[in-house]
Amino acid sequence: MARVYNWQLGREMSYWYPESRPQRQFAAVFDTNKCIACQTCTLACKTTWTSGKGQEYMLWNNVETKPYGSYPLAYDLKLLDMLNGQSWAGNKYEGQTIFESAPAGERVLGWRPEEQDYAYPNVGEDDCANQVDSGAFLNLPHMNWFFYLARICNHCTYPACLASCPRGSIYKRPEDGIVLVDQGRCRGYQECVRGCPYKKVFFNPMTGTSEKCIACFPKIEQGIQPQCFVNCIGKIRLAGYLSRPDQVRPDNPLDYLVHIKKIALPLFPQFGLEPNVYYIPPIHAPVSFNQQLFGPGAGEAMKAYRNAANDPDLASLLCLFGSTEMMVSRFRRTGDVVAGSDDKGAELVRVPMREPVYVRPAVDPKNQLVRINCP
Amino acid sequence: MRYAGVTLMILLSAACSKGPKQVAEVVAMERAGLPANPTDAAWEEAPEHLAKLVPQDQVEPRVLTPTTGEVRVRALTNGNEVAFRLEWVDDSKSDKPGPTKMIDACAIQIPARIEKDLPEPQMGQEGKPVQVTYWRADWQSTIDGRGDTIRDLYPNASIDHYPHEAKPLAPGSDAQKEMALRYSPARALGNMRGGPRSVPVEDLVANGPGTLAPGPSLGAKGKGAHQKGGWSVVISRKIPEGLAPNQKTHIAFAVWQGSQRESGARKMRTGWITLSRRSGS
Ligand code: SF4
Ligand code: SF4
Repeated sequence: MARVYNWQLGREMSYWYPESRPQRQFAAVFDTNKCIACQTCTLACKTTWTSGKGQEYMLWNNVETKPYGSYPLAYDLKLLDMLNGQSWAGNKYEGQTIFESAPAGERVLGWRPEEQDYAYPNVGEDDCANQVDSGAFLNLPHMNWFFYLARICNHCTYPACLASCPRGSIYKRPEDGIVLVDQGRCRGYQECVRGCPYKKVFFNPMTGTSEKCIACFPKIEQGIQPQCFVNCIGKIRLAGYLSRPDQVRPDNPLDYLVHIKKIALPLFPQFGLEPNVYYIPPIHAPVSFNQQLFGPGAGEAMKAYRNAANDPDLASLLCLFGSTEMMVSRFRRTGDVVAGSDDKGAELVRVPMREPVYVRPAVDPKNQLVRINCP
Repeated sequence: MRYAGVTLMILLSAACSKGPKQVAEVVAMERAGLPANPTDAAWEEAPEHLAKLVPQDQVEPRVLTPTTGEVRVRALTNGNEVAFRLEWVDDSKSDKPGPTKMIDACAIQIPARIEKDLPEPQMGQEGKPVQVTYWRADWQSTIDGRGDTIRDLYPNASIDHYPHEAKPLAPGSDAQKEMALRYSPARALGNMRGGPRSVPVEDLVANGPGTLAPGPSLGAKGKGAHQKGGWSVVISRKIPEGLAPNQKTHIAFAVWQGSQRESGARKMRTGWITLSRRSGS
């Protein structure tokens, strides 16, 4: 194993191959506070990429309700249970990653889901953390909580799927860091299915090969955001390229959210893959739960999000989510308006931070009608 | 003394009539016609080699706990082709692909060239390629008539809609087939790990672990049957170059048990075993 640097852990770690970062890294921020679990993203992906034979059960994008939801079943709990002692000292991870705790003879600490584990994609849907006692639901805010966690492949900097494949059939594109299974080379050993802690590689029984999220690379290559981003009803998603922590560009929306404001955090950083989908944690869930999912920065990220109304640059950037189909490389706020532009500086979109409010009287004498309020 | 000698002879002949003739190497007996079927009586003409299997423990992922103990091998040749029958104990037939399901399989491996310094027994090495002929149980089931739909694997599956089978695409038309390939990238690339096929085996070549790739055609054929708690599989291919009468080369075997979650590097294997060619007389 080689020694590589994982900035999410604040330290070096062991990995199967030497460090080799792409020229730029495709990355995303998901705002969990805005997801409504409409599953439009899931279907956008399904109809685009996985409508073929053998792909029936596959959800390259899925949305699960936390704390009880998971797909495949208990993908997260199983590994958290296997991976002992995930302690942090400040921002430095002191526990072991799945590479460092690989048992003898294995490349990573992994496990194979059973076939039935894929049978309950909606398990735990809308179930909240605790029993709601009689009458409790009438009180606001609710005492109990749940939230929606939308998941795609993380196009990890240190992919476990790639490390697990004994024949090098998985590769990370040097131009954008997208992780792909070479469908001409894969022999269907399913080592990647076993190795990926997020269980985002799926075996196709009809082709006999493993398949996974491709980050809609034909769209990315044209500067367009993937299907699950542009179809998102809640406008929770923003795709872009994330710089290394020592090369941060403050006008890059992803750099600003991840590196500067530290409001968007990786999912299960302790696994050690340096995943590249970043989450704004749900502000109504307990900080301890968020820390287990998103690492030690969860508390500060929740505070920063709560304070967004007093932080015009942050608030303006949050307004850019879901505002354009194109990938926004730079953002700039002028007064109450935020503009997004592409990597050549051409303006793509301009969004007001506040929509005008129109008040229409309940009774309209001109048209002689009474308006009814619809919630 | 005389009595003891007679007793020994009687014991020996009794042993011979009970089991097959065992040999310390794999001997390909010459014969005019090669049997395609593992149950063909012609296999009785060949002596049996009992090959001990050891876990693949050279490269990760490794097998740490042995599974299949041995494979019984017989070989016949007509001078152009050589056929092997591999038999091993496996009471659970694993021939259906699925998520996290592994499939029963076996393979033979022969150095691409006869030379004094043998390639590494495990998948060969750089500059010293090995030829691998690989048989898989799900391919056998396809050959034996299993259909190419998800219901052939999951009889209770219910499917609402496949875009590549929707109107106005006429079933079986070129346009429909072309559309189906768009949803089957591996098939579109000719990587036929699943789907229709004409033989349950494939010709491969390797230059070391992790390098296995389709090789030049050696006309591989095969047929396997699961019976009496085990597999009996015939694999045949072109005779190794230079394996003239009474000449020798080497061979290695590998067995995968799906029920033991074996596939790829997770396998039981042998080292090099001498493979010789001998006339029947
Ligand atoms: S489309 Fe957007 S809002 Fe709807 S479930 Fe997906 S991520 Fe959540
Ligand atoms: S999330 Fe899983 S499948 Fe995606 S790159 Fe990381 S390890 Fe590979």
